[in-house]
Amino acid sequence: MYRFWATFRKEVKLLIADRTGVAILFIMPVLLVVIMTLIQYEAYKSLTQSGIPVLLVNNDADSLGGSIENGFKKVSICELTIDHGETYKTTADIKRKVIKGDFLIALVIPQNATTVLRSNVELMMNNLFDKTKSQKNKPGSVNVEIIIDPTTSKSFVIAITSELKKYIADIETKVLFSIMGEKIGALLHSDQKVNMPDADFFVYHENYAFRDAGETFQPNAVQHNIPAWAIFSIFFIVLPLSSSIINERSEGLLIRMRIFPGSYLSILSGKLFVFFLVAIIQFIIILLIGIYGLPQFGLPVLDIGKHILPLVALTIALALAAVSYGLLVGTLFDTPQQSAVFGGISILIMSAIGGIWVPLSIMPAVMQNISAVSPLNWALMGYYELFIKGGDWYAIEFQVLKLVLFFLVALAISYRLYKLKTN
Amino acid sequence: MNGNTCVCISKLSKIYTGSDSFALNDLSFEIVDGEIFGLLGPNGAGKTTLLSILCGLVKPTTGSVTMYDYSVENDIEAIKKILGVVPQDIALYPTLSGRDNLMYIGRMYGIETEKLKRKVDDYLYEFGFGKNSNLPVKKYSGGMKRRINLIGGILHNPRILLLDEPTVGMDVQTRTSIIDHLSALNKEKHMTILYTSHYMEQAELFCDRIAIIDNGNILALGTPRELMKKGNAGDLEEVFIKLTGKKIRD
Repeated sequence: MYRFWATFRKEVKLLIADRTGVAILFIMPVLLVVIMTLIQYEAYKSLTQSGIPVLLVNNDADSLGGSIENGFKKVSICELTIDHGETYKTTADIKRKVIKGDFLIALVIPQNATTVLRSNVELMMNNLFDKTKSQKNKPGSVNVEIIIDPTTSKSFVIAITSELKKYIADIETKVLFSIMGEKIGALLHSDQKVNMPDADFFVYHENYAFRDAGETFQPNAVQHNIPAWAIFSIFFIVLPLSSSIINERSEGLLIRMRIFPGSYLSILSGKLFVFFLVAIIQFIIILLIGIYGLPQFGLPVLDIGKHILPLVALTIALALAAVSYGLLVGTLFDTPQQSAVFGGISILIMSAIGGIWVPLSIMPAVMQNISAVSPLNWALMGYYELFIKGGDWYAIEFQVLKLVLFFLVALAISYRLYKLKTN
Repeated sequence: MNGNTCVCISKLSKIYTGSDSFALNDLSFEIVDGEIFGLLGPNGAGKTTLLSILCGLVKPTTGSVTMYDYSVENDIEAIKKILGVVPQDIALYPTLSGRDNLMYIGRMYGIETEKLKRKVDDYLYEFGFGKNSNLPVKKYSGGMKRRINLIGGILHNPRILLLDEPTVGMDVQTRTSIIDHLSALNKEKHMTILYTSHYMEQAELFCDRIAIIDNGNILALGTPRELMKKGNAGDLEEVFIKLTGKKIRD
């Protein structure tokens, strides 16, 4: 243990001696996490919360236009601008505003839309109840225009058009019900009107599928981004670690270490332990940023869940995996340039397929299958369980096991490579 | 192995994987306890391979090496404790001070911290380091780095010291100072020294016995005087050129 701690001490001194390196190790990940979370939070917010500019040009002064207008006023994701044809008189005017970026979507309800709807329903009823009337008339159509900024997310377009169709279907049903009632009343020679009840027949309840029924936190961009970018940053420890290993080899220090009495393993483990601690400290700093720093930028507070020991276990497994990957890269390559390029790009690839940049759910099926080979994905799935689904140890044990296995396999390959290179 | 034999090399051969020529070819010789033994040879002669085998870095293809009663093959851990090595490369951390480098090396040999601090202070003083010892090694001159490299090899008071070109690239003053220190270690601490060099004049003055090797074979072995007499030459360099030729080696 004396040699282990002596190496630990030496590595700490080496880190401290390189102040720029220390700054890069701790400040850059924090900057990365803050910037990426802020960017993604805004993007996430634009899809799920409020502030998406929608223009509703309601030229119909009757119930259809009114129903759509009232409905959209209740939709929280919209920053709704309503016009009754005073400002935006032509489609060209509206298109110009959308192109300019003032609105992402514009909906245009034509004049007399309710009248046309009513006429169509009456025509249908006449065809049904009195075939002598109006048989030669064909139903007209109500042309609702939807003008979309090409950059608008498809999911948002679907959400808005679904809302629109829902309100139209609602008023269509009411008109149909009303006219049908009149027709039936006439057939029965009754003056009594049939009114459509206002009650909703279906009530929808949104429940998040937390593993722990007692969980109360709400999924948001912070819950996703903090662990995702923390994992990404921690894996970047591969660069200084591999570079340090290569420099020791190329500067003859490895030979000196191999001449020292005792196992080289105790020296190597002293070195790896320092980088392991750096990874853990990086993670703790990033968590603290999530809890105390990001709220200063108006973001929600990071909720780390109730299961602290599983969180510690997962983070230790993540740090071990990152350190062992650094050892592997450092053993495999002969120059710091090679290790920096390979290490950096391989982490970018593993993070991309691992769901760090883009959520797995929107990746093609083939990429979702490939993501299962990325250790960054294993860690991310573990943190999702703890931070988003309220999972406990049993929910993450498989991810921890995979990370520990990755650590052991990377160590074994590194040892084999080291033996090949030194014999 | 004679009673006062310190290193015994017997029928030692080495062929590296992928090579069809001998790096060392059936070498046999002994180094006597307390002796300063010079190993001279052109580039690629096999000097570094021999030193690497002696300190357990490279395994021989055939043959054996014993140091005192320890076999390199079976007792390498015991040998590492009595062996000091001064590598040709400046194997130091450039961002750490000379003192920190030495403290690290000393700890790796298991020297207790307080004792180590005293030893490091003594050696730094002896080798002419003042406040400079606390500067990062990257700010040292070539000579200062070589001196720290040398102290790193002797901190644990080894019985046998292997030096691979310890004075390469140094000015005359530094070379002389290092050789003086090595002579003192040999005399005062009875340290056996195995030394490789390209400086013939220095080897002639410093070594008790010299082996000239080339292509993995020993071409001549004896005291500098014996070698010059056998080679009918005025100095060691002439003997060396006669034995190894004038062809430039890579």
